Amino acid sequence: MGKEIVAMLLAGGQGSRLYALTQKLAKPAVPFGGKYRIIDFPLSNCVNSGIDTVGVLTQYQPFVLNEYIGNGQPWDLDRLYGGVHVLPPYQRASGSDWYKGTANAIYQNISFIERYDPEYVIILSGDQICKQDYSEFLEFHKQKNAEFSVAVMEVPWEEASRFGLMVTDETDRITEFQEKPKEPKSNLASMGIYIFNWDILKKYLEEDEADPNSENDFGNNIIPNLLRDHRKMYAFRFEGYWKDVGTIPSLWEANMEVLDPEHSGINLFDENWKIYSRNSGMTGHHVAGNAVIQNSMITDGCRIKGTVKHSILFAGVEVEEGALVEDAVIMGGTVIKRGAQVKHCIIAEDVTIGENAIVGEGTEDNSVGDVATIASYVTIGDGAKIGPKAMVYEDVKEGGEQW
Amino acid sequence: MVNSQAEALGIIFPNSYDSLIPELASERSMASIPFAGRYRLCDFMISCMVHAGISNISLVVRNNYHSLMDHLGSGREWDLARKKGGLNIFPPYAQKNLKVYNGRIEALESIKGFLETQHEKYVVMADANMALNIDFKDLIREHMESGADLSMVYRKQEIPHALLYPNSNFHEFYYTFDIENQRVRKIFVNPRETGIQNFSFNMFVIEREVLVRMIDEAYVHGYTFFTRDIIARHVGDMNVHAYEYTGYAAQINSVKSYFEENMRLLDEENLNQLFRGNSIYTKVRDDNPTRYINGSKVKNCLVSDGCIIEGEIENCVLFRGVKIKKGATVKNCVIFQDTVVGENSHLEYIITDKNVTISPNKYLSGNDSFQVYVAKGQTV
Repeated sequence: MGKEIVAMLLAGGQGSRLYALTQKLAKPAVPFGGKYRIIDFPLSNCVNSGIDTVGVLTQYQPFVLNEYIGNGQPWDLDRLYGGVHVLPPYQRASGSDWYKGTANAIYQNISFIERYDPEYVIILSGDQICKQDYSEFLEFHKQKNAEFSVAVMEVPWEEASRFGLMVTDETDRITEFQEKPKEPKSNLASMGIYIFNWDILKKYLEEDEADPNSENDFGNNIIPNLLRDHRKMYAFRFEGYWKDVGTIPSLWEANMEVLDPEHSGINLFDENWKIYSRNSGMTGHHVAGNAVIQNSMITDGCRIKGTVKHSILFAGVEVEEGALVEDAVIMGGTVIKRGAQVKHCIIAEDVTIGENAIVGEGTEDNSVGDVATIASYVTIGDGAKIGPKAMVYEDVKEGGEQW
Repeated sequence: MVNSQAEALGIIFPNSYDSLIPELASERSMASIPFAGRYRLCDFMISCMVHAGISNISLVVRNNYHSLMDHLGSGREWDLARKKGGLNIFPPYAQKNLKVYNGRIEALESIKGFLETQHEKYVVMADANMALNIDFKDLIREHMESGADLSMVYRKQEIPHALLYPNSNFHEFYYTFDIENQRVRKIFVNPRETGIQNFSFNMFVIEREVLVRMIDEAYVHGYTFFTRDIIARHVGDMNVHAYEYTGYAAQINSVKSYFEENMRLLDEENLNQLFRGNSIYTKVRDDNPTRYINGSKVKNCLVSDGCIIEGEIENCVLFRGVKIKKGATVKNCVIFQDTVVGENSHLEYIITDKNVTISPNKYLSGNDSFQVYVAKGQTV
């Protein structure tokens, strides 16, 4: 029996604007929210929506992501028929190709989709933080008798020109698509999440592949072609939390919003919509007698002896006596030594911040501003100073400075 | 077999010493008593076995084993969902003329058919009444090198208070050894000595085929207790090797010792000793990280994932999914999973079982020698 719907998750993005954080791993594998990676969100959304067949298209630095997804068991996606499958580019009799664009990535895996003989295919993006019930989206798609639907968010008009916009009529039917226009006719921004009828998707993928001038991209090629042919295209308005965490400031900001679910709308404490992740297996976190913790999220394996304010600590982080961590995102296994001050920054996994070192600096008006960033496995020497704009890729020696 | 695989199978007796801790074991077995924030006692023994390459582990349960079954599932989280070996749970053998087993001999007799058909050369046996991080690989190696018929694990320590000064309904056994050149010369049953003894941990390594023969013989004679009825009698003519365990061990013999052993883990040195070795596996619950909301205060606590702390906690062990509401203060408490402490309530020296709700504005207190226990699912 065929599947009603198969999800294809685009996870090949390099995430070049995350600089130091994506040197060794793909953007969807970037840690988020204390114990998750970005890809946990679309994977959990799938399983919570009843979608049990997911192809994950990888290309850039796939090792961490491959190992992380494994057989899909943490997301309940280890299935006899279906489940999660990692789909890297592969060699065929006629040669091999990297994925040239988002559409080409799907095109190269047509045979994977056909194994499940689906009616619908949902295309997901592996670099967004969003809790969305895809079954509502599918219901909309069916009700409209659509051939293509796209999830859209209303954005403020003054920001609309930064997005791909869907212009719709009163029935939500898409009449025009504007990619980052100077004069927006709509404020409905595409979230990069699409539902296609499989026969339509396949037809347009094949046509697109045959066009030597195409960039093989959904936004630039497939959607304009659908419009050209007056296909039944609809925009589904999504009204929840959605954030593209493609830049360091937006990633930092999204983490901070996790600390304030009452106002930000991103609630990880929702029993009815759990976000699953691979478990660290560490013991509970330990808070010493003279530690101070305010308005923070702390997970297994952490050892806190210093002060932690308005921060997110991932598994196994140690904060020694007299150290101060404020407005910071500290990823797994990092050690903040005695007396160090770590503010308004993102520190990747397994970093050591030396004694009395200073990293980053708060902004006065509590806006996002600059976010100091330190790559994985870096050691910041004792007493070193790392400025608020710094992007640290390599060790900084004792007493050194980087701005 | 390659080196990573032990030539041993494991057998765990989850109900041993249930009667010592009737409050916590009223609806569960000793093995499934929650401990140290996110574990059940059996997690320690099973994880230690798995880390030693033992991948064929059987639990011979007697009663109250629903919570244990629920916890263990297929054994996947301990890497024990296997085609060969893996996790076996033996429920009581419900034959008409056979009562539910009493001692290890009867328990082993009930799984004799299983034991006979296995391929591992050795059997490692243990109870689940303690949390420790023992290297079973080293035990098996030392046993093989010693050429002994049997190796027994002991630790130099005082006999636990709850065993020396038991309640009236005490019908459990404990043992100490007389040891000479790493050989057990004499076994004392329920001795009353104070001071440091060679206290038996009730863990054995023995050849599987030898064990089956011993069980056959003992069962025919109507014996019940492996150590008391077989080993203690034959310690003179058998070569019984004594293996000393020197690591950390949290031994649960009463509600008081349960409370104290949880509190001992608030000392980071103890926490490190118990968890520094091999990692201890447990059932995954997919909780989010714990959230400390403005106004919360936390001092000297061990806290698991999924908690929301708005009040004040001091010297506490919090299990998964605990909620401490605004204005509440919780001191010197062990709070099991999904307990909710209402606004402005004050708790001191309390153990709350799973899913307890403390309504707002309540005051509950025990003291350091007597902790008040609130049973599973209660609303106070």
